[in-house]
Amino acid sequence: MNGVVIGVIYALAALGVSLVVGIMNVINFAHGELYILAGYFSFLFADALGWNMYLSLAVAVFLVFLFGIFIEYILIRPTYGNEMYSLILTFILSIVLQNAYLLIFGPYPNKPPTWIKGATEVFGLFFYGNQRLAALVVGAFVITAVFLVIKLTWFGKIVRAASQDREMAELNGVNTLYLNMLSFGLGCALAGAAGVILAPVFPVTPTAGVQVALTAFVVVVLGGMGSLWGCVVGGLVLGLVENLGAAFLSTGYKHIFGFIILILVLLIRPAGLFGRKEI
Amino acid sequence: MLQWTNLDVFRGETQVLWGVCLYIKAGERVAVLGSNGAGKSTLLGATMGAIEPKGGDIAFKGISLKGMRPHQIVRMGLAIVPEGRRIYKDMSVWENLQMGAYPRRGRHLLAESADIICELFPVLRERRDQRAGTLSGGEQQMLAIGRALMSRPEVLLIDELSLGLAPIITRQIFKALDALPGETTILMVEQNVEQALKHSARAYVLESGRVVRSGPSVELARDDHIRKAYLGL
Repeated sequence: MNGVVIGVIYALAALGVSLVVGIMNVINFAHGELYILAGYFSFLFADALGWNMYLSLAVAVFLVFLFGIFIEYILIRPTYGNEMYSLILTFILSIVLQNAYLLIFGPYPNKPPTWIKGATEVFGLFFYGNQRLAALVVGAFVITAVFLVIKLTWFGKIVRAASQDREMAELNGVNTLYLNMLSFGLGCALAGAAGVILAPVFPVTPTAGVQVALTAFVVVVLGGMGSLWGCVVGGLVLGLVENLGAAFLSTGYKHIFGFIILILVLLIRPAGLFGRKEI
Repeated sequence: MLQWTNLDVFRGETQVLWGVCLYIKAGERVAVLGSNGAGKSTLLGATMGAIEPKGGDIAFKGISLKGMRPHQIVRMGLAIVPEGRRIYKDMSVWENLQMGAYPRRGRHLLAESADIICELFPVLRERRDQRAGTLSGGEQQMLAIGRALMSRPEVLLIDELSLGLAPIITRQIFKALDALPGETTILMVEQNVEQALKHSARAYVLESGRVVRSGPSVELARDDHIRKAYLGL
């Protein structure tokens, strides 16, 4: 059960990475810090300012979206054509953000208020925290929404077209610079969504984002670069394997199981579970 | 309609086009002929805004296209069938056509344009929901042409229509182009000189980045130099 909840959140965080990689060919090393940023925002608004909880969640994600657009405009746009620059820049950004958090919020874990209290009996087998169940439901809802948008709307269509052939999309009248900005913002917002959903369960600390980003990259590679389905399946597989491994063997090795699965999958399918072979 | 004046275009350090002058009037069918590396695709690339010309000008209805990005040029009313077709392989045939209608000028006429195109290429209607990557080469070329037409262009640029296609399919597609309504201006760039001359009113011949011959297609088809160099007669 824990595996499914964590898996959904992994998938959510990885969707953001995958979207940005697929369309822009940019790897955002600061992805985890944006996840944390949303967690801090929701903590700040709900706890310190005493706003309504749902409002503070929405505002937190929206602010991260705007921040993402800002980053794209200032840092990423001048680097198009050379992926190495954006890689280094986002890496620096990640370190800067971590230290900013440390200065502003201090090294202690901060936790926004939980949405609901108590626990529910699941299938008459065990009790499970309501907050975690809520995280599962909301996470699954956001993922479904992303898939519907990608499948059904014009925005989704140009996203898929541009991730297959950028130049051709431009020749079909798509303003790909604008699309880049929007999809980078959306990728960040997805990290933010994962952040606000999970922050009440796992409190945010300045450096907790590193683990999140690392896991998101593992999920993306596991599922196949740029494949959105791969993210969902990869996220679930990773979440389940880590938690089953932790339950039956040892919690100390939790993250090792994920990497073992990654290596096994890459040995058999080098492009990832749903990856396309690069031509 | 479209006018190229003294166009100089570089690819990296190498100059590919040298002072090229061309024009195409509304409703005209014009062919640009030449062998590999003559600069034909570069000409189209510069026209669509993918390559910035070093000198000269390209004007569409008197408005210079220089410095515009490709999507802006498409929105003005140009469309291209690119070399190698470049359809979106992982999307369905129908979604490919929809992508063509993305510019505002095409979007509100989507259903109507789709009907016209399926009339032109009935195969596309049959395969509407199929993944575009599973189509045959000829069908993909039809889809690429259909996608370009979906934006309701005033000028259609076609790059190497015959490339990699069986002669019988090539002839079929050229015939379909002839059946297009007269107001569509078409500039085709071709290595298949025989077919291109048959289906165009005027033609230019590019050699090493310079226009060496131009005139009505019927006359060029009788030209000794062209018969020797391109038609093998």
